[in-house]
Amino acid sequence: MTAADSGALPTIDPREAGTQLRSGLWKTINERYPGAMIRKDSFVPQARLANSLSQSRLVMISSCGVHLKTDEPLDVCHPFGDFRFLRVPSSAKHEDLIIHQLKYPHDDADLDINVIFPIERLQELCEEGVLGGLTPNFFSFIGYNMDPDKFERTVAADIAQAVVEKEHADCALLAPA
Amino acid sequence: MSVAYLRGAVARGDLEKVIRFVRLHLGDGNEAVGKDEVDRSWVEAVKILLREEPVDRKFIAGVLEKDESTLALLLFHLHFYLIRKSGRWIHDGSR
Amino acid sequence: MGLIQRAIEERGVPTVSVTVARDVTELIKVPRALFVPWPMGHHFGVPFHRELQRRVVLAALALLENSEDPGLLINLPMKWADVRREAKTLTEQGRRL
Repeated sequence: MTAADSGALPTIDPREAGTQLRSGLWKTINERYPGAMIRKDSFVPQARLANSLSQSRLVMISSCGVHLKTDEPLDVCHPFGDFRFLRVPSSAKHEDLIIHQLKYPHDDADLDINVIFPIERLQELCEEGVLGGLTPNFFSFIGYNMDPDKFERTVAADIAQAVVEKEHADCALLAPA
Repeated sequence: MSVAYLRGAVARGDLEKVIRFVRLHLGDGNEAVGKDEVDRSWVEAVKILLREEPVDRKFIAGVLEKDESTLALLLFHLHFYLIRKSGRWIHDGSR
Repeated sequence: MGLIQRAIEERGVPTVSVTVARDVTELIKVPRALFVPWPMGHHFGVPFHRELQRRVVLAALALLENSEDPGLLINLPMKWADVRREAKTLTEQGRRL
């Protein structure tokens, strides 16, 4: 069974513009924190799935700062950000997890973590055979950071390496906060 | 501001830019709110001390022997701790 | 997040992200993204709306299977007002999804 067979939305015309609820975010953040926002001039070469999704192992990465209740939280108070990341077992449930964050609303995620980190939805899709499997761990970090160069050298590089070499992911879902 | 931008501002002695950054961080992206938040955390500290409860000065003395980087970061943690105690929490990402 | 997405894609693992900030995503040039016109902190919907959360996940996963051009940014055509109305209706009916 593919994702398309499982009640996914019909094909959407990519030229159809969606209206962003909060417009001009990049400009707003860049004006308040000059140099903190990133733009790139070109795309990276696109990778392809080697097999169907039903035979692929997925990893999820989130900037929502979610973690096991038994783990120490990342540092949301540091003015430059926290350049570490945490592993979240892909078998975790809502009641095992907690969010510590400052820069986005998480009242609804506190009621149901799947609003921002759909870990239980992914578990269900594995049970149904839509996905081949999940990596043993997912990854979580704090999205706020004031040093994009350091972020690219540390968090981005470290997570990318772990995803490929330790977790052996075939594909990745990234969920910002 | 990015860290690189802040380093430049400190090197030039442009402290206005640095305090603007602090207010933006503490004000969830709003400088005026951040200025107010700084006042609120100090007010909250005074309110707590007005209760005249026992304090652990030995602990404070021990903490002050830590390295300056840890103590500088502690200042930010203490600010947010006092803001939570004040009962008004603005950090919902809406600004 | 865009930096991480690019770093993983460069290492040969296909990626897709879900975004509510279309302008930010476009400027960082990620390989694939699903845009949802909803507020921050609600990329996958509302609490207990299992069916909607699942729909968003499936729409994102579908991009992994079907995308051809780098920078594909697909819009999920569901207004936030409609999402809230669905959640409210079901709550008023006294049941959770």
